[in-house]
Amino acid sequence: MDIKANEVLDAKGLACPMPIVKTKKAITNLEPGQVIEVQATDKGSTADIKAWAQNTGHHYLGTIEDGDVLKHYLRKATDEETKEERKHEDIVDLDELRKVIEGDEEVSILDVREPAEYAFGHIPGAVNIPLNELEERFEELNKDKGLYVICRTGSRSDFAAQKLANNGFKNVKNVVPGMSSWEGKTEKDN
Amino acid sequence: MSNKTKVAIIAANGGLFDAYKVFNIASAAAASDAEVGIFFTFEGLNLIHKEAHKNLPLPEGKEHFQEGFQKANVPSIEELVEVATEMGVKMIACQMTMDVMSLDKDQFVEGIEVGGAATFIDYAKDANITLSF
Repeated sequence: MDIKANEVLDAKGLACPMPIVKTKKAITNLEPGQVIEVQATDKGSTADIKAWAQNTGHHYLGTIEDGDVLKHYLRKATDEETKEERKHEDIVDLDELRKVIEGDEEVSILDVREPAEYAFGHIPGAVNIPLNELEERFEELNKDKGLYVICRTGSRSDFAAQKLANNGFKNVKNVVPGMSSWEGKTEKDN
Repeated sequence: MSNKTKVAIIAANGGLFDAYKVFNIASAAAASDAEVGIFFTFEGLNLIHKEAHKNLPLPEGKEHFQEGFQKANVPSIEELVEVATEMGVKMIACQMTMDVMSLDKDQFVEGIEVGGAATFIDYAKDANITLSF
């Protein structure tokens, strides 16, 4: 699968702890929300990157093996995501979304996470438009159909839902908390 | 993160293996946003001695591992000391040992501090992880 990253870090051939040290340095220069691809050949790096992400608050998306090279994907944490305040009032929780998906009503699910996050697991049938591209891509969406907007924790989807509501979308719901707690079906890009 | 993990390490031995244990853990911890301090005492002072740290001995009978280090592309101790310094690892050289061995601060790598046991205890008293190598 082809994953979009804002930055590629070559840590191939480096032994522990250098892949972590280089990742730490590289992620400092990224904007919050951006995605980095870390290429490593150190076999311990998958466990290390995961543990490192957990301790630093960055978001580990997944790893792809490409021959001898391990490609790790991480998303730099943002401050907004830790804030609880939400502005779009029409929200639904994950149980409601699951019922809607299983029901007869025809709905659209809009996943506003980065393509790399989407690639490692999304609700089947969800359309991916990252938050920062949403304004240029309104016409890809149906204004009259029910639109369920989801991200990882409910914060980017809140921004997206506000933007959609302000641009004539009538039935927009923010799904909370989001993919971080979704236990229903997912699919991955191949 | 708001609750920073604090790591306190005592380095008391001066071989190459000892150096890797100390600096790998220290730099991995620092890269994980932990606050890290190392107290170098007795032979551990070799790990930050300007000349000695470039050529630390392998344990007797284990000299053949030299090749393994190169093959695995393990960074040199010099490189790891630089990384640790750059990431803000606090390095304290033991004053008492320096006096015993007639060593001066300028014989050590840049950026170290000199202090006694009490300096380390003060640093380590609220550490989450304490290690001794």
